[in-house]
Amino acid sequence: MNCDSVTKLIPLYYYGDLTPEEEDLFDEHLHECTVCAAEMERQRVLSAALDRRRMEPPPLLLEDCRADLMAAIAGGAPVVVKADKGAWTLFLEALNVSFAGFGKMRQPAGALALIAMGFFLARFSGMPTPFSGGGFNSMSLSPSESTFATVRSINPDGDRYKITVDETRSREITGRLDDPDIQRFILAGSRGENAAVRLESVGLLQNPGVSPQVLDALLNVAATDSNDGVRLEALKALKPLAGDPRVSKTLSQVLLSAANPAVKMQVIDLMMARRDDSTVGALQSLLQHEENSGVLHKASKVLKDWNASIGTF
Amino acid sequence: MAQEAAGTVGARLSPHVDALIRAAQNGDQEAFEQLVRTYDQSVLRLAMNLLRSPEDARDVYQEAFLRVHRNLHAFRFDCSFHTWLYRIVTNICLDLLRKRKVRKEESTVVETPDGPIDRLDTYEESAAEADPERSMWNRELKQRIDGGLSGLTPRERMVFELRHYQGLRLRNIGEILGTTEEAAKNCLFRATQKMRGVLGDFV
Repeated sequence: MNCDSVTKLIPLYYYGDLTPEEEDLFDEHLHECTVCAAEMERQRVLSAALDRRRMEPPPLLLEDCRADLMAAIAGGAPVVVKADKGAWTLFLEALNVSFAGFGKMRQPAGALALIAMGFFLARFSGMPTPFSGGGFNSMSLSPSESTFATVRSINPDGDRYKITVDETRSREITGRLDDPDIQRFILAGSRGENAAVRLESVGLLQNPGVSPQVLDALLNVAATDSNDGVRLEALKALKPLAGDPRVSKTLSQVLLSAANPAVKMQVIDLMMARRDDSTVGALQSLLQHEENSGVLHKASKVLKDWNASIGTF
Repeated sequence: MAQEAAGTVGARLSPHVDALIRAAQNGDQEAFEQLVRTYDQSVLRLAMNLLRSPEDARDVYQEAFLRVHRNLHAFRFDCSFHTWLYRIVTNICLDLLRKRKVRKEESTVVETPDGPIDRLDTYEESAAEADPERSMWNRELKQRIDGGLSGLTPRERMVFELRHYQGLRLRNIGEILGTTEEAAKNCLFRATQKMRGVLGDFV
């Protein structure tokens, strides 16, 4: 072994990643070469200094993280569930849900069939439908279109039934994030019905150059979204703008209206970026009725750091 | 460091962990919590040491385990859960490190009238230093090391942290980062070479 190869092996030797044979050759060289021995010593000093630099997370931080996580999950962080069940299983499950409240009441076979049709139309109408033509000629479903239908009402009409169906056509749009059309759809997605879509949209709104429309959308989601997971994502996106007065104002409102401790913790984190009278006021009000010890502790700490009173007013 | 990993490796091999994963995949929330508790301390420690910020470490923790929760159904036992989890965690950390590199907001050291102070000092294990001369020497060394670490690329930094602080084997590090053992070895070599370089004539 020469000095060049030994230098390369120093970290591997130190961390015990050499084979026993390599280690023997390494040791041999080190005994004979003062330059490499000094380099090895430098590695030891470096490692010792790195060990002193090591940070151990405070137990309170770990507990906070655990509480935040479980609150976010319990609060409904959207979960993507893989639908690996067959169509028949899904249909049977849907029937169980539909009839759960009816006890032992027997449903007429015709109604059952109609629910079945509604179910299959709702879920699988993108597929070639067995119902096209015949009695369903008003529904011009073509296999090439992706059309989703929901049965709105079923009314008897003599020996026939009149069924009202809401249809939604789906089409694909592709584009980059800087495309105004794509931005428009993402903004619309942040107000959509599906929590997973809202979460995805809000995640995409996290860009450095935030337009007024995006800021409005983020503030709106943070203040009003029914899903705490989506709210947390919006709060995360607001992090770089935490000093903005409009953000501050919304944060105060969210802090006093949210029920989920994880949301409140995140809000307090963001509030730390800007000290103003309304933020201090909101934190002081929170202390008067908050029950979660983690939130209480955090709010008190911020007020203490700001030399603000934590007493009641 | 190697002892650190021992707990993790033990957990990785335990059939108990496999049972927890399967139960969590079937929607058992308690099993999911237990699974989190098995690994979360080392995840938080990695994020904290890598990012040197309790706030960022907290974000990494939350994001990583929410991703685990959302995607656990897709875990097929074709690699160890530890590797799968660390792929998620290291991806999130690398993204943050890259963003920081762009924004150049790495340092936690603030200038004060009494000289530079690391605002994270309170989180570190205090090595009681009664000797002021020794303490000054350590302070200088620490500054050099901080400077050296911020000069590493995010990937070098990651390999260095995983090997030094987490005690992971290079092959495992390669698996986590989606590369080979050889590439991880080279990365570790470059990182330590740079770090030994910053010590200069100090030792």
